[in-house]
Amino acid sequence: MPFKPVPQKFNAKINSLTVGTGDRTATLGGESSYPFYGFDAPIENRPKIGVEISDIGADNSLPGIAEYYKGCSTLPELAKRASEMPGADFLAISLDGAHPDNGDRSVEDTTALVKEAAAAVDIPIVIEGCRNIEKDAKLFEKIAEALDGRNVLFLSAREENYKSVSAAAAMAYSQKIGAESAVDINLAKQLNVLISQMGVKTESVAMNLGSAAAGYGFEYVATTFDRVKSAALAQNDNMLQMPIVTPVASETWTVKESIVSEADFPEWGPAEERGVNMEIATASACLAAGSNAVILRHPESVAAVSKLIAELI
Amino acid sequence: MGKFIVIGERIHCISPVINKAMQERDPEPILKRAREQIETGAAYLDVNIGPSEKGGEELMKWAVTTIQQACDNVPLCLDTSNRKAIEAGISVYNRSKGKPIVNSADAGDRIENIDLAAANDAIVLALCSKAGISSDNDERMGYCQELLERGMGLGMDTEDIWFDPLFLVVKGMQDKQMEVLSFIKDLSDMGLNSTGGLSNISNMMPKHIRPIMDSAMVAMAMYCGLTSAIANPADLRLMETIRSCDVIKNNTLYADSYLEI
Repeated sequence: MPFKPVPQKFNAKINSLTVGTGDRTATLGGESSYPFYGFDAPIENRPKIGVEISDIGADNSLPGIAEYYKGCSTLPELAKRASEMPGADFLAISLDGAHPDNGDRSVEDTTALVKEAAAAVDIPIVIEGCRNIEKDAKLFEKIAEALDGRNVLFLSAREENYKSVSAAAAMAYSQKIGAESAVDINLAKQLNVLISQMGVKTESVAMNLGSAAAGYGFEYVATTFDRVKSAALAQNDNMLQMPIVTPVASETWTVKESIVSEADFPEWGPAEERGVNMEIATASACLAAGSNAVILRHPESVAAVSKLIAELI
Repeated sequence: MGKFIVIGERIHCISPVINKAMQERDPEPILKRAREQIETGAAYLDVNIGPSEKGGEELMKWAVTTIQQACDNVPLCLDTSNRKAIEAGISVYNRSKGKPIVNSADAGDRIENIDLAAANDAIVLALCSKAGISSDNDERMGYCQELLERGMGLGMDTEDIWFDPLFLVVKGMQDKQMEVLSFIKDLSDMGLNSTGGLSNISNMMPKHIRPIMDSAMVAMAMYCGLTSAIANPADLRLMETIRSCDVIKNNTLYADSYLEI
């Protein structure tokens, strides 16, 4: 008997969210099928890749990174180089140096630095903050103002600071915001409800559902993403139809497999290769589970993951 | 499974305010009730214009366009025994938020409303009765099969036929309640959608009792697989019960604000 495909059709779709302006924009989401299920319905926008740089400079302890960013000493130079990386769809600027425990650079100085970096590139920009709740709220407010008109995505608004992030970034300057929860499906939905109750359009919101490096409880990440996508599509839940953005690099470049030296673990082989493999494995798993964008660091990972996406779509 | 669908019942010509507004073509009282019902959680609005043998077509057209234009094309349930009025309503109906519902067909005089729904790609409420109330579940199931076969024969998707077991008033037919629930279970086991005028059960009870009785019934009926009801979404207790049951049935993902969305 011949095989007769029956497409799985949904009367619902993931919201489209565009970051950036002008000729270079990145649109996330828009599909009405499960991840990579192009045989069910056309995938409107392929998943996107962000290249992460830090305001405290590139990690030159990794030869591949040092080589790629050779000659770049300032954030604008790093930004320019990262924006030229093959496979890069957007730039993700991590503001590590503004964290109170990591230099505590002032809001004003950090804003000026980011503004300068943004002026050096035309690629869409995601601002990742310093991951300190109070400082991020202040930083996002000033940076949203400084980058008015650039249509930037801020990661992230959390349970503790969503009010100020929503009001400052999304409402005052029409920027995009990501709602962050740490692999907590009910909180993910609740944050989206709270943000929309403030008056932020759901189309301006992305979700950072959290992640884990492959092997570090990733099953829980996968089931969370699955449940979110099925609520969004099969149950037409408009409080979960936001595209998913997943910072992968920050998870994978801190685990043992990526950082212990070859001298200490000779049987594990070169550290950088391991780190790249962790980044690729985790990013691929996130994409298969439903991420509409992943944020990576290493040029080799970006090359491999963009090839994977191109060949699957 | 999707969320339980509440068809708001408050645009009904039996209400003097609505009746007057319909006769005078005064949109405001109707739109006020439409907005209240959408706000409180109705997914569909029932538009009951009565028998309207004279001028029903024109009235239904007016009601459909008036409500849909003012309320972001909210989907409607067209409720009248005047078949031509339903057809007229569908001719001006905007489907962007959902198909129109034909209210209603039965296995008796109104069986041709199935044909009407099939011809117009509409959903139809199918009463499992012929003339009066069915005496038992065998009779209900017989009518259900008849209606189902007719719809399928005309090319309808079974999911577009929503079967109504007919909820019965507790005061007077208390011994029949479990039978109705068991029939809902049978429909659910067959994978069929179901609906009905829920508040029938609490007819003639004191006003403060009705929300309690309706809530208990909807919880038990949802457990049995009821997928929709024609009800008053302004009944807070009822809506809280439905939303809670939707969470327990995993029809919607829980969030702390689930009662507000």
